[in-house]
Amino acid sequence: MKELYRYRDLIRMLVARDLKVRYRRSVIGFLWTMLQPLLTMVVLHLVFSSIFRFNVVNYPVYVLSGVLFWNFFNQTIVSSMNSLRQNAGILQKLPVPMAVFPVSTMLSGVINLVLAMVPLFAILVVTGHPMGPSLAFLPVAILIAATFTLGAGLLLSPLAVFFTDVVELVGVVMILLMYLTPIFYPLSIVRAHELFWVVRYNPIRSILEVFRDPIYLSKVPPLTHLSLAAGLAVAALIVGAVVFRRSSDRIPFFF
Amino acid sequence: MADPVIQLESVGLCYRLAKQRLGSLKEYFIHLVKGSLTYEKLWALRDVDLAVAAGEVVGVIGPNGAGKSTLAKVITGVLKPTLGSRRVAGVIAPILELTTGFDYELTGLENVYLNALLLGRSRREIDRQVDGIVRFSGLGDFINSPIRNYSSGMVARLGFSIATAWVPDVLILDEVLAVGDVRFLDRCQERLDAFRKAGTTTVLISHQPQMLLEYSTRCLWLDRGRVTADGEPAEVLGRYSAAMHGTASAMEPVVTE
Repeated sequence: MKELYRYRDLIRMLVARDLKVRYRRSVIGFLWTMLQPLLTMVVLHLVFSSIFRFNVVNYPVYVLSGVLFWNFFNQTIVSSMNSLRQNAGILQKLPVPMAVFPVSTMLSGVINLVLAMVPLFAILVVTGHPMGPSLAFLPVAILIAATFTLGAGLLLSPLAVFFTDVVELVGVVMILLMYLTPIFYPLSIVRAHELFWVVRYNPIRSILEVFRDPIYLSKVPPLTHLSLAAGLAVAALIVGAVVFRRSSDRIPFFF
Repeated sequence: MADPVIQLESVGLCYRLAKQRLGSLKEYFIHLVKGSLTYEKLWALRDVDLAVAAGEVVGVIGPNGAGKSTLAKVITGVLKPTLGSRRVAGVIAPILELTTGFDYELTGLENVYLNALLLGRSRREIDRQVDGIVRFSGLGDFINSPIRNYSSGMVARLGFSIATAWVPDVLILDEVLAVGDVRFLDRCQERLDAFRKAGTTTVLISHQPQMLLEYSTRCLWLDRGRVTADGEPAEVLGRYSAAMHGTASAMEPVVTE
């Protein structure tokens, strides 16, 4: 922790570089971050409102807030897993605290999430969705999501160094998780299913709802949900940090 | 003698090489289930004891595979010894490779910041030194173009300028002075001299006995992970040259089960 604080300027530079690399080579630059979830929303809206026909009040807002959360979670996990491997050259030659890489990956993910929320607010305005003071709760929700995601990234990034197929394996697990999380369907349509408990006890659902409630339901999540999500996030961070710390001595031997 | 700046006590470093290809979880589990998970142990360093006092310039020589670079990584703190202990006091400037940590898409100037931050400097410290770094590198206007346009010599010059911009307590050089043109090499040597006068403890790894003879105050001969000799540069290097030209020392690393 102290080490990370000492290297804070480095983390800042890595985040800036990450954002720069992401946006430099695309024609419309930053706009792409905002456009991609919007287009996803349009596709899902068409699919679910005309083909599957389930009724969700203001589905665009429901699905867009879910997609934004999921993109953040998924992209940060994938980049964290690659972050140590991509910087193998540095980790073999310089005594840099390795955690700077997954930490800066998570931070640039948060910045992207915040940018991608701009069109969400536009959709709220356009669809006349009620915007209450609950929106002020979003920073806390993002903090919880970021803590949880950092924990998962710290857990997975050393594993990805030790075994290269972890990256592919996690890719498949993420697809499964996406369907087990009520991102583009309402919880009510799976309630009758015998595997409902899987969705119900899926920890990612907890984290997602703490993020979505203030936007979609215009309310701060109830304290029980909130403390569950915060507890999960802290637990994930502790597990991730412990695994990361215990494997970091071995990491340079694997490049 | 005051407390040594670098202290290694019976350091052993073992690379565990799986006999099977174990790049993936799938293969790992297959071998785990079949019980065929065996490793070769390659001891790159064994029983290395080293105490370096402030201001010493220790030259390290040895054939390929002797463990010189591994020793540099252990002193730097990149590799943790399998056995024994390592203690280094003060700020270390490791120059194991001059191109480490460069991002070829960024400009030279941006890379000055990136690289110095990786070396543990703060932004403010770099702000104060950046002009001096650019001047020393001699890159002029090139500093503002992406370093993918640089020649390898230019990148190496920039790397050296950054790594030596601050007087470190411990400097570790692994075969890096074989780059750049003669004029730049002269300036590198001036800088190293200045460090030596400032009391920097230096570990200099090289294949060239001539260079070690010129610079070091003490010389270490590594062979197959062990310290074969440690003492007066002239004496150690003399014995080393005799051994290399006479009966060839076994170059293969030792492998044990």
